[in-house]
Amino acid sequence: MSPLDITLRDPETPRSTLGRPPDYLHEAHTLRSWFFTTDHKRIALLYLATITAFFVVGAIAAGLVRLSLIVPNGQIFTSDTYNKLFTVHGVVMVWFFLIPSIPATFGNFLIPLMIGAKDLAFPRLNLLSWYVFIGGGLFTVADLVIGGVDTGWTFYAPLSTTFSNTYVVPALIGVIIVGFSSILTGLNFVVTIHTMRAPGMTWFRMPIFVWTHYAVSLIFLLGTPVITITLILLVMERSFGIGVFDPRLGGDPVLFEHLFWFYSHPAVYIMVLPGMGVISEIVPAFAQKRLFGYRFVAYASLALASITFFVWGHHMFVNGESNLAALVFSLLSFAVAVPSAVKVYNWTATMYKGSIRLQTPMLYAMGYIGLFVLGGLTGLFLATLSINEHTHGTYFVVAHFHYIMVGGTMLAFLGGLHFWWPKFTGKMYPEAWGRVSAIFIFIGFNVTFFPQFLLGYLGMPRRYHDYPPEFQLLNIVSSAGATILAAGYIFPMIYLIWSLWFGRQAPSNPWQAKGLEWTTTSPPPTHNFETPPTVDFAPYDYPLRTPADV
Amino acid sequence: MSDVTFPVGIDVHEQFANADQQRHAAQLGMWIWLVTELLLFAGLFMVALVLHIMHPGSVRAAVLHFKFWIGAANTAVLICSSFTMSGAIMLSRMGWQRWMVRCMLATAALGSLFLLLKGYEYYLDYAEHMMPFVGQPYALEGDPASRLFTNLYFVTTALHGAHLTTGVAILLWMAWQAHRPGFLQARQNRIEVYGLYWHFIDLIWIIVFPLLYVVGR
Ligand SMILES: [Cu+2]
Repeated sequence: MSPLDITLRDPETPRSTLGRPPDYLHEAHTLRSWFFTTDHKRIALLYLATITAFFVVGAIAAGLVRLSLIVPNGQIFTSDTYNKLFTVHGVVMVWFFLIPSIPATFGNFLIPLMIGAKDLAFPRLNLLSWYVFIGGGLFTVADLVIGGVDTGWTFYAPLSTTFSNTYVVPALIGVIIVGFSSILTGLNFVVTIHTMRAPGMTWFRMPIFVWTHYAVSLIFLLGTPVITITLILLVMERSFGIGVFDPRLGGDPVLFEHLFWFYSHPAVYIMVLPGMGVISEIVPAFAQKRLFGYRFVAYASLALASITFFVWGHHMFVNGESNLAALVFSLLSFAVAVPSAVKVYNWTATMYKGSIRLQTPMLYAMGYIGLFVLGGLTGLFLATLSINEHTHGTYFVVAHFHYIMVGGTMLAFLGGLHFWWPKFTGKMYPEAWGRVSAIFIFIGFNVTFFPQFLLGYLGMPRRYHDYPPEFQLLNIVSSAGATILAAGYIFPMIYLIWSLWFGRQAPSNPWQAKGLEWTTTSPPPTHNFETPPTVDFAPYDYPLRTPADV
Repeated sequence: MSDVTFPVGIDVHEQFANADQQRHAAQLGMWIWLVTELLLFAGLFMVALVLHIMHPGSVRAAVLHFKFWIGAANTAVLICSSFTMSGAIMLSRMGWQRWMVRCMLATAALGSLFLLLKGYEYYLDYAEHMMPFVGQPYALEGDPASRLFTNLYFVTTALHGAHLTTGVAILLWMAWQAHRPGFLQARQNRIEVYGLYWHFIDLIWIIVFPLLYVVGR
């Protein structure tokens, strides 16, 4: 590479703002220019604000659940209130925060930048998906908060269709509507990645972030319609008596579980894959090394997206599933560990002998890897038939999926937020505060959720607010951890917003990272690049350091 | 038969480099949408298939109540509508905008005929007490598997009907847009993309008909 190229791709000094075209944030300031924008970057920020609001709702509910569990006999809330609280937490966090979190914000913002496109293929459809999302989301949240629903986020029949006396149908309708936003986002991503890549941007020059979003879009497209029809069937049964799940009306309740988990297991990978994409960008940048085994990581993403559709039966080991089916589902669930481990090994190998800088995004990335390993390994326990018999429906399961969803997705989300914050806003966040809150979150998370593994193993069932007194100590530890975790969430909300006004001006490439998004200004101009890029370099072309890297 | 030939083309949106890229993106987008639609129906087809295998007797009892000949007539109607839609696409490529609009109106008319026949069929089902959810006693009382199959028949055909109704509405709207000259110059691609959707609704019915009316009879 000639010296000229290097200065072009790694501008060391921030270019003066004088004489460059206005960036996407400063081009217009009216409300109209935000709410009717078709710019993928502005839509990404609309999503960011929306999901943060939903996160706050879900987190408050989680805090109240933890508060209730401090005492063993459920004196703080009535059973009904407790059921409604964990339903708010589950529904909001899963459907309105975790599933859209990384794809709708970072994916929306970064995919066109990373492949060198001016925008997504269908910008108006992109805006429509945000309106669909916020419409459906607000509808359900209003229903959950004002009316209340007690079914949990899984809406299991026959509880949801026959026995629940709460406002189930509006909650379902909101979730169905939000599903369309997922489908439209996935459709937009797949079409964009197929048709809008810059000249020279071949498939194997795409960053892993784009690969994982391609994989996750496939799950959006193939999985979401199935949950849509399943929830429509629930609405039909509850509202019109068209029996599909209630045996008295000719239905079969286990059918609901099959249909539900056919989507909802892959939904785990909707939450996890984009996070893997984020980590695959952060780790090479902060180790200043090429991503180890690029093609393996890319293929592992597609492998996860396909295997994930064939393991749903592991949620029904104790529901009268045949031994043969249980055996097959157990084996297939083990198979998921292979591509997951490939990724973990590759991130670790990327760090090996790298020149590691422990800035905030890297702290989150390293925390992610550790917690994801723990969450993944306990997933193997749960996929083992005999252990599942013992831990099914206990806090062991709760701890397991929180290690994947909070320890995984949430840490990746925060890591990515700090990593790309300079690109999104043109401002640097305060590094010291970033590190402090990353450490708070890591410690708070483990103190909250590790005791739940023990509780589950000892036999405490999930979703009860009444428990034997001998479980109180571990529950208090868990609730105490939740307060540390909460502090770790509140800090970034404050200092990131503070940085919008008072943060240092960000250079184009503050981390000396590779990838097309760092070649444009921070924040980028409306059409992303001042001159349309042409790609003639490999992904992650960090300097080679040792002979072992070659 | 001849028509005034209008120029055929596409208005390129600013995010695309050229018309080819935009055409490709739009068609790929519709194909992907149709895959998700297929998956939407696939859950219902899967349940029907499982019932066919696990409870052949109950399914047969229900299938014998369904109106085979109306279903068959509707299959023919939809196949004809696919021909007229293909005609509209071909005419749009040639720039024969007026004949294209006539073909689109014929397609919409056939779609509406399907819906009319389907409505009549629902009425017959009601008269035969094959609507277990409206409060009347069910014709095959005491056979839960057949009841599930019947419920599935209603959900599936209603969902298909909703797609067809949407399809007819979009057709009429586009035909109205295309009655002015210049439509094909800016938006010929819409006809191509929409054609995919119409053929897809037809395809879904071609799966629904054997699965719910024929197999097990
Ligand atoms: Cu699962």
